[in-house]
Amino acid sequence: MLMHLFTLIWNKKKQHSLVILEMIISFMVLFAVFTLIVYYFTNYRKPMGFRYDNVLSVSISLPPGSTANKDSAAQVMQTLKRTVLALPEVKGMSYVSSNSPFSMNTSNNVINHNNQEVMAMYYTVDDAYPQVLGVKMLEGRWFNATDAHAKEPPVVINETLKENFFPGENAVGKILKMGDEPHRITGVVQTLKDKGDYVASKAGTYKRAGDDAPLWLSRILISYDLNTDAGFEGRLFKTFSSVLKTSSIEIEYLTKKRVSTNSVSLIPMILLLVVGGFLIINVALGIFGVLWYSVNKRRAEIGLRRAVGASGSGISGQIVSETLVLSTFALLIGVFFAIQFPLLNLFNMPSGVYITAIVLSVLFIYILVVICAFYPGRQAAQIYPAVALHED
Amino acid sequence: MIHLQNIEKVYRTDTVETQALNAINLEVAKGEFLSIMGPSGCGKSTLLNIMGLLDEPTSGSIRIADSTADRLSDKQLAHFRNRTIGFIFQSYHLINDLRVLDNVELPLLYRKSTAKERKELALEALEKVGLSNRTKHFPTQLSGGQKQRVAIARAIVGKPNIILADEPTGNLDSAMGNDVMDILVRLNKDEGTTIVMVTHDENMARKTHRLVRLFDGSQVQ
Ligand SMILES: Nc1ncnc2c1ncn2[C@@H]1O[C@H](COP(=O)(O)OP(=O)(O)O)[C@@H](O)[C@H]1O
Ligand SMILES: [Mg+2]
Repeated sequence: MLMHLFTLIWNKKKQHSLVILEMIISFMVLFAVFTLIVYYFTNYRKPMGFRYDNVLSVSISLPPGSTANKDSAAQVMQTLKRTVLALPEVKGMSYVSSNSPFSMNTSNNVINHNNQEVMAMYYTVDDAYPQVLGVKMLEGRWFNATDAHAKEPPVVINETLKENFFPGENAVGKILKMGDEPHRITGVVQTLKDKGDYVASKAGTYKRAGDDAPLWLSRILISYDLNTDAGFEGRLFKTFSSVLKTSSIEIEYLTKKRVSTNSVSLIPMILLLVVGGFLIINVALGIFGVLWYSVNKRRAEIGLRRAVGASGSGISGQIVSETLVLSTFALLIGVFFAIQFPLLNLFNMPSGVYITAIVLSVLFIYILVVICAFYPGRQAAQIYPAVALHED
Repeated sequence: MIHLQNIEKVYRTDTVETQALNAINLEVAKGEFLSIMGPSGCGKSTLLNIMGLLDEPTSGSIRIADSTADRLSDKQLAHFRNRTIGFIFQSYHLINDLRVLDNVELPLLYRKSTAKERKELALEALEKVGLSNRTKHFPTQLSGGQKQRVAIARAIVGKPNIILADEPTGNLDSAMGNDVMDILVRLNKDEGTTIVMVTHDENMARKTHRLVRLFDGSQVQ
């Protein structure tokens, strides 16, 4: 019977070409939607790599001219650190570059090793960074004051970059060229998902902020005791403004920043879902209409099949199976195009994501088609054979 | 072979009630070739559909090939039609999207069979109607007479005991009609197939064993 349905659909392929085309297009849109969903989900399941629930991000903008005298400015920064750390609620404080967790800022640098080049995120942070964010060292150690006078400046790399340059090897002690300048790796840190839960973390390097760095690093991360009372933020603000003699200080909770960063990365997915949703409804109605029309056009054929031995349920089964065969034609073509994405490694996404998305899209189309074919199939089963054979 | 007892058929629609058949009593013996005649609208097709278990009488009872037709489920009816009855229609009812061979194989798809068996039986049936050289054609590429011969091949491919033909020559000119009629006569003679045929044509009716006339849903002869 299946072969028979294949023959039937094949012989009618011209009539069905529009539906097939429609199915192919909706398959491709579904494929895009599912690729994004699967990709986001894979990223979501990866560890965050740091704590954000007890961390505040403070942005300061110093009054113009206040850093003109470097020595006194450095003095101010050290005073600030001492005063803030003296607050009983504060557990740690770290000067960081503005591409801090959940911020919109990024900074990239070309990293070189053995003539291999990788574009990596470039962070400048001080020695307290791992303690404040609770990052996980996988190899070696974070840099500290003992590295200040090393022959090559120290650098910490993340796991992603390590996998790029030193898969299965020890990275500590190896030399990387950042720009033209050689740096020695002191440690490997678990990659931080610092652009939100859904965004894949890229390769990254952490460069040590020297003692003068606080002058141009305008962001400070502070880890605090979660049992603290609501007045903490105010006390912190006062401490900052009294030491810095300015009130352009912005205090943000990383927890909140995470939520807004996540919303931003979900926007393209939501847009795609809306577009995809409309398209799917359109296709579903299209398939439904075509089936409805074809059942009514094929009343005589259905009557004849009943006469030669088809039961009512056999007829509805046939309508559903025919639609499945039809969608198989479309899916074969659709999968052929979709499979090019992992084969040609387009958009640099893991091929597992593409394969999963293909499987999900195929299942989705099949289920959709069965749902659309169900009612016309039942309608066909109820055609009265004697009546259908009578009309011409 | 076919026993109809007190068959009555009333079509009811919202506005009208049509008495299509009234107190029909009819026996068709095994191996008989019976023709039914009567003016248009007198209930011939209705009677044939009831004999073929495609339609239910409003009252009365039917026995076909020694089994009682009432109380059969939809599936059992379908199975019964597939095994016992072959249908031929005035307008052929071929599936235009299938080649001749696939059209002829159709009844075999609704029973257990292998592709090879189906092909053999279909070729054999096409041989009998003299169309072995048209197996790959589509119905639209055939003449009316050829179409009807394909329909006959489809009706006999499953080797049914009974053939029900509703004006099989109605759309054909007399030469083609005679060809079709010859095939039916030979089928009845050589294979002993019981045939009930509705016709408008006295010449065709004369070639059968017995003639039943209907008028306004009643048997007049
Ligand atoms: N499905 C139906 N619904 C209502 N009336 C019908 C239906 N089928 C047939 N009839 C009526 O029953 C009568 C007999 O029809 P039919 O058996 O087709 O006649 P014939 O084949 O002798 O021309 C006609 O009056 C026809 O209009
Ligand atoms: Mg008729």
